[in-house]
Amino acid sequence: MMMLRNLKFALDSAWQSFWRNLAVSLAAVVSITLILILAGINLLVGHAFSQVLDGFRAKVSEMSINIADDTPLSTVYSFRDKLAGDPRVVSVKFVTKDEALAQFLADPNNAELTQQIVGNPLDAKLQVRVRNLSDVTAIDTMAQQWPGVDPTDPTNYQGDFVTRMLQLSQWLGIAGVALMSMLVIVSVVIVMNTIRTAVYHRRKEIEVMKLVGATEWFVRGPFVIEGVMTGLIAAAIALSLLVISYPPVVSRFSADITFIPLSYDPSFISSLARDLLLGGAMLGALGSYIGVRRYVRL
Amino acid sequence: MLRLGLRLDRRLELLGALSYTARDLARRARKRHASLQKTQLMVLTPDFATRPVISFQHVWKRYETGTEALRDINLVVPDGDFMFLVGPSGAGKSTMVRLLIREEKPTKGKIFVDGVELGRMKRRQLPFYRRRIGLVFQDFKLLPNLTVYENVAFALRVHGEPDALIKTRVAEAVDTVGLAGKEQTYPANLSGGEQQRVAIARALVHAPKMIIADEPTGNLDPATAWEIMQLFLRINARGATVVMATHNREIVDLLRRRVVAIDAGQIARDDRSGRYHDDASKSQVRAR
Ligand SMILES: Nc1ncnc2c1ncn2[C@@H]1O[C@H](COP(=O)(O)OP(=O)(O)OP(=O)(O)O)[C@@H](O)[C@H]1O
Ligand SMILES: [Mg+2]
Repeated sequence: MMMLRNLKFALDSAWQSFWRNLAVSLAAVVSITLILILAGINLLVGHAFSQVLDGFRAKVSEMSINIADDTPLSTVYSFRDKLAGDPRVVSVKFVTKDEALAQFLADPNNAELTQQIVGNPLDAKLQVRVRNLSDVTAIDTMAQQWPGVDPTDPTNYQGDFVTRMLQLSQWLGIAGVALMSMLVIVSVVIVMNTIRTAVYHRRKEIEVMKLVGATEWFVRGPFVIEGVMTGLIAAAIALSLLVISYPPVVSRFSADITFIPLSYDPSFISSLARDLLLGGAMLGALGSYIGVRRYVRL
Repeated sequence: MLRLGLRLDRRLELLGALSYTARDLARRARKRHASLQKTQLMVLTPDFATRPVISFQHVWKRYETGTEALRDINLVVPDGDFMFLVGPSGAGKSTMVRLLIREEKPTKGKIFVDGVELGRMKRRQLPFYRRRIGLVFQDFKLLPNLTVYENVAFALRVHGEPDALIKTRVAEAVDTVGLAGKEQTYPANLSGGEQQRVAIARALVHAPKMIIADEPTGNLDPATAWEIMQLFLRINARGATVVMATHNREIVDLLRRRVVAIDAGQIARDDRSGRYHDDASKSQVRAR
């Protein structure tokens, strides 16, 4: 009961304070909105990149090991079983020379080449699907050392490309985290200053509260709520702007740059909403918490 | 029950106040003083043998600026006492008040209130300690954006009391200070005396055992000051201990209550029914 009454008091005075310092409150909302938009863009770009990466990953995590023509079938089977037993491997499929040729001929991209083919120049191969992209290198090394591999064209593994992609995604991740932490610091400072202004405007009330025996958190509560309110309002604005502009930007982008498999992903909206609202509330709470700890003491 | 009896008393007083002028202040005061002395003798003489409510033990206070505001203060205030703190400007009266409400801590020495040493009180206990005190200041410290009702209710709201209780308590307190009917007025539309009444209502709405006032009549004309003083006397008659720092010589001299004179941070005099200045004229000169 008492908690509820105190909460009501805090909500009332937070609301009043927000409107009383409307200029400062709005300035804070606008700044936090901009910051959250940046954060949202960061999240969206990260998501788009991982979408694209997933597309590539599906292709790259599958590799084929070409088998020399004179390899006995028993050697192939034992290597296939060895690969299949490896925890890093999802599946192994043996493709005979005939099947490989059939696959090759079936692909319309190879239409011009098919006329020039005499006999069957293709190798039999083991198609390996790897669980983690980063394990492809190890499997490739294993295959290279296998005696049955075709020495002229051992595997279709493009080590360079894979490691580049992995590096890029790592760097992007680090840059994202760095950007996010900068944004967090900036917005916490903004909220802190808003709260300082609010505290200044209400110093008389705070003084009286302390004198009549308010607990420290009773005095601080309204400011923390005001901070959370600021953060939530900013998050709501940032979110709606992002949600409105996300589909047109994606369609524009995928129309211009067709080779990157980017698509509008409505399921990401809900996770974006959760992240932004939660982030806004937490930024507001953190900024005002630090603010009141500094400026409101008994 | 005390409250009921006193309300009657207050009505009589208000009747009296109607015909009240600054001119006959002294005459009326003397009469009132005599009758108050009588009641006091009958029921409310402070019992010096009971546990003291406030005690200062070798209290020193030096501010960060280096000012030695208090020097070795030793003082015992028994339960139900009415005590004036007097002394020239800068003597250290407000410092004593600030120490009492634990706005400041003594540099040396101990202060006990109700058997608890203030210096040892944890920060989180402080609010609950302050809820046992009623505070009145020269500048009223009312919140201008709140009505009389809300200002008085403020203390109780801060304590997290339920609305129903707040309603009855505030009505009682507003009535006690004679402001019934002005509940919805804003402080800006009240006279100084009325504003101070609101502040007093706020200080007593939670029925504190102890009222601490720092120059409560400092901004008021003599007649209003006298009316405000009546309120304090009444609160004291209910059993609350009153400690009041004041420069109001007339009132101190008329009431002949306990007077503790501070001079340059030290207790210069402690009379059980004293005057503003020492009777000896040489100390009058020194005090000025
Ligand atoms: N916060 C403070 N910091 C430093 N010095 C202070 C502070 N408050 C008071 N003092 C000094 O301590 C001394 C006592 O001040 P105090 O306010 O207690 O006097 P006072 O008796 O209340 O005076 P007055 O009658 O004018 O109100 C003065 O010299 C004053 O300058
Ligand atoms: Mg003073």
